[in-house]
Amino acid sequence: MDITVRPVPVTAYSVISCCGLGSHALYQALLSKKTGLSDLTLLDVPFDTLVGEISADLPEIQQSLSEYDSRNARVALAALNYQEDGLLAAIESARERYGSDRIGVVIGTSTSGLYETESAYQVFLEQGQMPDDFHFLFRHAYQATPRFLQKQLQLQGPCFAISTACSSGAKAIAAGQRLINHDVCDAVLVGGADTLCRLTLCGFASLELVSPEFCRPMDQNRNGINIGEAAALLLLEKSASQFDNSPHVLSVGESSDAYHMSSPDPDGKGAIAAMNNALQLADIQPSDIDYLNLHATATQINDSVEAKAVYEVFNDAVLCSGSKGITGHTLGAAGAVEAIVCLLALEHQMVPGTYGLEQLDQDFHCQVVKEPRTAKTLHAVMSNSFGFGGNNASVILAKNYER
Amino acid sequence: MKDDLLIKSAVCYCSDGDKLQDFGLQGIEINKQLMPANIRRRASLTTKMAISVATEACLQAEVNPSELASVFASVGGEIQVTDVLCRTLADPQAMVSPTQFHNSVHNTTAGYWGILHGCQHATTAIAAVDDTFAMALLEVWTQLQQQPGDCLLVCYDEYWPEYLAPPIGELAFATALVLSNEEKSYAKGAIFRPQIAPEYSDFSNDLNGLIELSPIASAIPLLQAIQHSPPLALIPLNRDQPQWSTWFKKIT
Repeated sequence: MDITVRPVPVTAYSVISCCGLGSHALYQALLSKKTGLSDLTLLDVPFDTLVGEISADLPEIQQSLSEYDSRNARVALAALNYQEDGLLAAIESARERYGSDRIGVVIGTSTSGLYETESAYQVFLEQGQMPDDFHFLFRHAYQATPRFLQKQLQLQGPCFAISTACSSGAKAIAAGQRLINHDVCDAVLVGGADTLCRLTLCGFASLELVSPEFCRPMDQNRNGINIGEAAALLLLEKSASQFDNSPHVLSVGESSDAYHMSSPDPDGKGAIAAMNNALQLADIQPSDIDYLNLHATATQINDSVEAKAVYEVFNDAVLCSGSKGITGHTLGAAGAVEAIVCLLALEHQMVPGTYGLEQLDQDFHCQVVKEPRTAKTLHAVMSNSFGFGGNNASVILAKNYER
Repeated sequence: MKDDLLIKSAVCYCSDGDKLQDFGLQGIEINKQLMPANIRRRASLTTKMAISVATEACLQAEVNPSELASVFASVGGEIQVTDVLCRTLADPQAMVSPTQFHNSVHNTTAGYWGILHGCQHATTAIAAVDDTFAMALLEVWTQLQQQPGDCLLVCYDEYWPEYLAPPIGELAFATALVLSNEEKSYAKGAIFRPQIAPEYSDFSNDLNGLIELSPIASAIPLLQAIQHSPPLALIPLNRDQPQWSTWFKKIT
């Protein structure tokens, strides 16, 4: 028996990144191929790099939830509240229709409130105790941001964090789709939120994976990543005819490399399995995918493994591009940010370009798009996310639901 | 797909074995030999105890660890590794060890589990404070509604530095279950869809005391049900509100 899943509509979404607040800001950056990467101002690190740092003003956390106050929570709140995207209104409407206990919150993150924890440790090592406003469970812990969003929205359904490094945001979409498919929830707020901190910057630098310049995804001369920060939130609801014209999550394919903690399987078996699993769950063929948003971090090994895997699944028949030259690599949020890149591509019938790509690696045989272009035929698109531990997820989204 | 899941095995570990015996449970010992030396040398207690209970659960369920999907869940994850890194990074000029960095991610144990057994099935790593066990069981339940077969659930928290969230982390606790939706497989019992409890059940003072030290101990009522096999019982899965629960049924 072939297993398939039921598509779920995305009824609202919003995003904040170095490209600005709201999905239109991200769309404008993709359309004009304008990078949001810049010098790091939030903190000091002992090496040169560029980052995708959010410069938009962040909202304050309300007094009654102040113990949850962290940069991560504020970034998530900014996306939630951005009126033009209508996410908050859509969640409030869903709460009215379904009841608060039928709405879940599943958010991916790699470091949650670690930015604040790092400052707290400086105080701790100087003074022998943590500062008074240190709240490990409410700020540092992985579940802090989903818990904050649940309380902010007065929801009572299932609520948890997924933290599988750079695939977290994509895996949250998978968990949300399952909760709706199997009638645990009528709606789930899914996505990812991750903010800059010294651990990830210094950690990736220690692995010699950080570029001192603008990153160059899929390029012959790529030399590492630029780390970014973002929150990307999507409201998934149960299928209904009123949402047939909304974009839908068709499926999320998941797999493990079983190879190495921080380096992908050179044969790309895990990546291939994730893409094939997504296609099989959606019951569609590789030729049905009109655009593929690559993971394309711009490290030597990641991009070459992904190029090999994409060629194995699609041959050279699918248009691909990578958006991390524009947003930076937003780690635990990346899977959700790039799902929104795909939603924008579907909504505006646009294939995004690849900022930073000049000369495609001569060993790569997939069609990597340099310049954004219009397209009239985008129906189903895929987004790849591959993380530490060999944790892989491929999300398939469609323009609407064809019953 | 069937609403109920068969429990093929259930295993637990507690750093204070006497505490488990107070609840009529018998824990296993950590088996460090399950990992090759190159991984073992740098693996945290978190990884060692999670791999120990997971391996024993697969053994008891007679399933091949390379052939099932898995859900790993923990409140603090690689807390001791993260603690060392945060202490190091308090010096603005300091750099960190690349191995410590990739061993600090929440899915470290999930990653090593796949590497140790060559398991390419999906694995995830989740966290939900006091609801961690309940949400992990719910994630397993939804996965097995989608995909027939077995799924491994592993929940764990090791000792935490005493300045983070005391008294959480004064105890190390781990549990692993193999759940299945296959017909006719040997089982210790069945559970049904985790749901918000129809009425709130208080945990005993003893259990509350243990959960204060390790939130994963919220698994104990289900572990006790598996041990004692009541004909039918509603099992609370967390002590927060809303409270999650599942029906447990003896297999006859």
